[in-house]
Amino acid sequence: MTPDPRARAEALYARIGAALTRPTALMEVCGTHTMAIGRHGLRSRLPAGLRLISGPGCPVCVTPASDVDRAIAMAREPGVILATFGDMLRVPGGHGSLAGARAEGAAVRVVYSPMEALALARGAPGKTVVFVGIGFETTCPTIAATMVRAQREGVDNFCVLPCFKLVPPAMEALVASPVTKIDGFICPGHVSALIGIAPYEPLAARGVPCVVTGFEALDILEGIAMLVEQVSAGVARVENQYARAVPAVGNPVAMGLLHQVFAPCDAAWRGIGTLPGTGLTPRPEFASMDARTRVPVAVPPPADLPKGCACGQVMLGLLLPPECPLFGRGCTPAHPVGPCMVSSEGACAAYHKYGGA
Amino acid sequence: MCLAVPGKILALEGGIARVDFGGVERDLCMDLLPEVGCGAWVLAHAGFAIQVLDEEEAQATLALFQEWADFEAQSALGPTERSAPGGGHDA
Repeated sequence: MTPDPRARAEALYARIGAALTRPTALMEVCGTHTMAIGRHGLRSRLPAGLRLISGPGCPVCVTPASDVDRAIAMAREPGVILATFGDMLRVPGGHGSLAGARAEGAAVRVVYSPMEALALARGAPGKTVVFVGIGFETTCPTIAATMVRAQREGVDNFCVLPCFKLVPPAMEALVASPVTKIDGFICPGHVSALIGIAPYEPLAARGVPCVVTGFEALDILEGIAMLVEQVSAGVARVENQYARAVPAVGNPVAMGLLHQVFAPCDAAWRGIGTLPGTGLTPRPEFASMDARTRVPVAVPPPADLPKGCACGQVMLGLLLPPECPLFGRGCTPAHPVGPCMVSSEGACAAYHKYGGA
Repeated sequence: MCLAVPGKILALEGGIARVDFGGVERDLCMDLLPEVGCGAWVLAHAGFAIQVLDEEEAQATLALFQEWADFEAQSALGPTERSAPGGGHDA
């Protein structure tokens, strides 16, 4: 290993420049990559023919307004404590946010782990604890494992509002769409730590190179170099830049728990629409932990996105955030309109913070 | 949302590990990595260990974090200045 990271970065920039033979658009699917690319200013040093576009890679951004409204309605039910990752608090539904509901007295608690939500349930036997189940494959297994623990311990006042999203089938839908143009995928490192690399093979079979990539600046530059080299050579393979955290098989125990608890279902992605097979719903053995039946609420159908908001096109890679008419004017991190500006890992928040460099 | 950080397991009891994250200790649930023992390096997410890391690689990663932080701190053009609005060709 060359000890000087600056020299390594320069060598990678040179490798990318030498490999690039035609205009190339790479999509980073993961919001953590979007933030890292902005934080390190990588875009400003890439050759002009190479575009990095942000995908639908933030579970908070793609949670439909109706799910946010359902969570709010559940939090307002007597006897319910609603536990959520903090990322969801400020996300606007069609009718307010969880932060707003909390300010009005609804029982909303922020947790860092689903295990904390389970602990809340153990400590409040007279209440029903609803955990807002958002996340990609990185997070879903942690919630599945928590549900298995709840069942084993007989904690019967813990349930989950399923808002999960699966990444590779959504990537396949993006590639199949006639409106998107993606030459290669910077694949999400920590999703892959769980699912392994095989789920990307169908994308490579459709001619789109995939490189599982880590989150340090040098990781991302190397992942980009590997993708540009594939694009220029006219090949499409699944490669693994992040082998230190991603074994080819992923984490089979975690995926076993995931499939034990949940079955695939269709899912609505905010601003994008319903994508088949991209969600998860509890299997019959875990149906008693489905918050949708445990805490039935009526939610009026909301508009999916606020008026004028282009988050849907941003998440498809069709528009860069500054191309949205609201960006930086009506919509800022302090006063967000759309979900991509609310979430700390949303593409709009990243562009607003780092200026697209 | 999918952030995960490396840490080293100090102790294990009842499927819960005490893990050292560069000096800060926290408990992690080990249900997704039941076979992993004391001394192993793991990647943590949402209160769970989600993947085991090769020790050499984990330490190299931590060293890389530090080198890059030092490099950015020394650089005349830090990340904030470099990414001022309008500064990138993509903006």
